[in-house]
Amino acid sequence: MPPGNEYAAEQLKTQGNAHFKNGEYESAESYYGQAIQKNSKNPLLFTNRANARLKLEKWEDVINDCLRSIELLEENMKAYFYLAQAQIAINHPNEALSSALRAYELCTQSAQQTSNAATISALVLKCKKAKWDIRERERIRRRADLLSDLDASLEVSYKKEADDIEARIEAGDIGNVEGIEEKKELRAEWEKKRDDLRTAFALSDPQMLGKREVPDYLVDGITFEIMHDPVVTKNGRSYERATLIEHLKRNPTDPLTRESLTVAELRPNIALKEACTEFMEENSGWVYDCEDGETDHDTRWAHLSSS
Amino acid sequence: MFASKRLSKELSKLHDKLPPGISLICADDLKEWLMDIRVIDTNPLYQDEVYRLKFVFSQSYPIEAPEVVFVKDDEHPIPWHPHIYSNGIICLDLLDRQGWSPVHNVESVCVSLQSMLTSNTKKERPPGDENFVKYNKQRPRDISFVFHDNQV
Repeated sequence: MPPGNEYAAEQLKTQGNAHFKNGEYESAESYYGQAIQKNSKNPLLFTNRANARLKLEKWEDVINDCLRSIELLEENMKAYFYLAQAQIAINHPNEALSSALRAYELCTQSAQQTSNAATISALVLKCKKAKWDIRERERIRRRADLLSDLDASLEVSYKKEADDIEARIEAGDIGNVEGIEEKKELRAEWEKKRDDLRTAFALSDPQMLGKREVPDYLVDGITFEIMHDPVVTKNGRSYERATLIEHLKRNPTDPLTRESLTVAELRPNIALKEACTEFMEENSGWVYDCEDGETDHDTRWAHLSSS
Repeated sequence: MFASKRLSKELSKLHDKLPPGISLICADDLKEWLMDIRVIDTNPLYQDEVYRLKFVFSQSYPIEAPEVVFVKDDEHPIPWHPHIYSNGIICLDLLDRQGWSPVHNVESVCVSLQSMLTSNTKKERPPGDENFVKYNKQRPRDISFVFHDNQV
């Protein structure tokens, strides 16, 4: 690289950041692009461009930028974070989830974990939900197929028997009045079977059963939501890592006992985490819906924008 | 950032069930709620009166404490208490920045205030009430109270 290029790239990046801040994402993207031409070894240039491209919804380009950034710097929280958002946008929830989890892992390892943890947690949940949605759609389609097959075969055998009666009337084996009576009974019987079948399917749908409530022991006492990365404090209570850290930043005490408490003293509660995961897998549909909330994505991610 | 989600959950719990003497008056949005409290024992200072509390939540609730004051109107007086100013501002460690904990909630604050009244025997205002009420321009959460006694 000719001398001075690194400096020039830095200048271009600063201009890119200024445009990004003003919401001029296209010109930001182009400045970052020029910066990359001057210095293609700086992973930050790629993540910044990825962020601009996220705003422009150029998903494939976001993915390319993130992958190049990760090639340059493996422990790259931002790159995995943007990557996950693009992957979820193009409907690849499995890839998105593993990227989001990697971002979360890097975030909790870093010294200044703090505020990003909550944002990335939310993204992890979103990916899990997207993954669950796809599975659920499959499941319903399969079930619906089975139901409509059974439904159809009931109807076929009813029609066949009705035709038999018709034939017997034609042949004079039974009288007209008698035949009509028999057909009426047959029809009632078929309708009952069909309704029973549909009821049975409706009842066996787990969505219909059980109370839609997360048990208290899986709920974070601060956000009142199901936990996804619970940590335990000295007195044995568990909280969601991201929210507890938010509290400890302002007030380094145990929320319940007010004894002093620091981030370094928190321990993951692995068994509880598994219990939460299992519960979410069984009840995802509605649990995730509650998780989603009305949070404004832009403000939520604002603090992660270009640096 | 969690405020609205947490508050909507608290709200559905409040609709479900409330401790005796506490009722939800208005929660049209997730920013400001009105709650009524009355004491449920025979403390003569507070008989036959209902007090109205106003909760104001910031975006960072419950990491940050809500702002809680008594409000006065024709039917709701400000209760007598050595820690409650006549303009409704409450001096309670629980509501102070240092004393607040995110595991508290609207219901637990109401219960604490209820028991703060129940256990009081003095028909008094805090010292310097008149001046405080006249000159205070600060919002309750920005005032740094000195918690001089823990007996009341």
